[in-house]
Amino acid sequence: MNVRLVRNRKITIGSVILYVTLVILVFICLYPFLNVIAYSLSGYNAVLSGKVTFYPIDFNLLAYKQILGRTQIWVSMRTTALVTLMGTATSLVLTVFASYALSKSYLPGKTFFTGLILFTMYFNGGIIPTFLVVKGLGLFDTLGALFIPQAINVFNFIVMRTFFREIPKSLEEAAIIDGASELQVLVKIVLPLSLPIIATISLFYAVGYWNSYFDALLYIQDPDKYTLQLRLRSLLFGEELNTSGRTNLEGIGTEVMSQSLKMATVAVSTIPIIVVYPWLQKYFVKGVMIGSIKG
Amino acid sequence: MLIPVLAYYVIFKYIPMYGVTIAFKNYNIFRGVFGSPWCGLDVFRKIFASENFWRSIKNTLVLNFSTLIAYFPLTIILSLMLNEVTHAGFKKLAQSILYLPHFVSWVVVAGIATNLFTQQGGTINQILKSLGADPIPFLSDNRWWIFTYVVCNVWKEVGWGTIIYLAALSGVDETLYEAAYLDGATKFQRLIYITLPSIKSVVVVMLILQLSKMMTIGLDAPLLLGNDKVMSVSQVISTYVYRLGIENAKFSEATAIGLFQSVVNIIILLAADKFAKMIGEDGII
Repeated sequence: MNVRLVRNRKITIGSVILYVTLVILVFICLYPFLNVIAYSLSGYNAVLSGKVTFYPIDFNLLAYKQILGRTQIWVSMRTTALVTLMGTATSLVLTVFASYALSKSYLPGKTFFTGLILFTMYFNGGIIPTFLVVKGLGLFDTLGALFIPQAINVFNFIVMRTFFREIPKSLEEAAIIDGASELQVLVKIVLPLSLPIIATISLFYAVGYWNSYFDALLYIQDPDKYTLQLRLRSLLFGEELNTSGRTNLEGIGTEVMSQSLKMATVAVSTIPIIVVYPWLQKYFVKGVMIGSIKG
Repeated sequence: MLIPVLAYYVIFKYIPMYGVTIAFKNYNIFRGVFGSPWCGLDVFRKIFASENFWRSIKNTLVLNFSTLIAYFPLTIILSLMLNEVTHAGFKKLAQSILYLPHFVSWVVVAGIATNLFTQQGGTINQILKSLGADPIPFLSDNRWWIFTYVVCNVWKEVGWGTIIYLAALSGVDETLYEAAYLDGATKFQRLIYITLPSIKSVVVVMLILQLSKMMTIGLDAPLLLGNDKVMSVSQVISTYVYRLGIENAKFSEATAIGLFQSVVNIIILLAADKFAKMIGEDGII
């Protein structure tokens, strides 16, 4: 007998309260997104009078048409797409190498090397020394600075290593007896068996790179190389880092006009995340669980 | 296979670790990390005497504790609520929506927050105005800014935080509920005597983990949500290091602050781990 089913066969006051509260919470969670979409689709006067809440008023696509004409945004989007692509590839290869090698119990010095990696989770040189190294390598103001210095995420390494450990050893041994090299074993046997975890980790890395803001702030100076998040910030808050009082009387028309534009830009820059989200969701719960148990 | 990995760790993690020595040096841009003259603890004396340094520590702790106080119980309550939902479709939809903000960048969150919370024409204040209330300076008053900061953080992470509790809750033995039900336990009693005790250890570990991160705040949130008006509460250790080091090129001082923070972090972490083991939970390291 399942109590959960039994007690829910009838609708109780408790369950009504539960569902209503959850619906309200979900709505609150969703509200900021709806607000963005509503602003981006609303007419000038509706935005100006502050009537827009979570549904568009005077529906129009003007803001989106304006974005199409703004090449800067598209250049930044292309830069970010490039960084995301190269970054995810680099991160994935390095993480696979690290976790595959260190998942082997026979590897000499395994504990030492693993310790070396885990230690960086708890202690690191900090912003400035890392900055000096990146600068010293000539990576400053290059796109490489946006993914090379932070290529491996220790958390993802742990998740992947845990997964590799669970692959039956006999499969690999059989391949080795048949004359396969370590690299062949990895590419032909281990990786095809690990597609779910590869997909999960790739998505984690990709979302991380897409959303990354601080690295670009730190390492990128040339406005032509601005990433999407940097561009977005300068568009939303002005070039200066600490601008706050943006509302002034003479600029109020353009200010409110651009409010729709700002929100449309926010929407456009978040679309890629929303697109990969269903795939992401399929896997991340498992990833989080493995990672939290830790090896 | 391990060689590129080790190269990466040595170059980008361990060389910078050696780089912390500039905290004990008078860093000179032309002489580099090795060539700059040693100056003992001068840099530390300087930062310990600085008011801004202590304020950034205080702000870090205030923001972290405020967030924790709101985030921690809310995550547990939300998990318990989601756990009670029996309609699979609704549960899945609710979870999908609640996890979503975790994947949005802080720039976007700050943009949305500004749109919602601005005093002039922000959506929330428009609603307040139509209800006849005075506008609230969510972003420009120190206390309200902390509130806004907490709201944004909770919004972004509360759903994501439920994953771990939901997993623990799904592991609770169903027969316990059945037995309690047959013995006439009410829903509330089942919650208090079965559900809560069975997730107790996860709660304790999560709390210790969170507490061990109290000295750390990522740069993005305070930097992007903050503004000049609330600088006295939004300047945290990481943003201070950034502004001092990168914007003002005071490399030695910024590094010293970062090093101080790392050392304190390690001490807290070791203490938290000891404490966790002392009360019979698994260690967190």
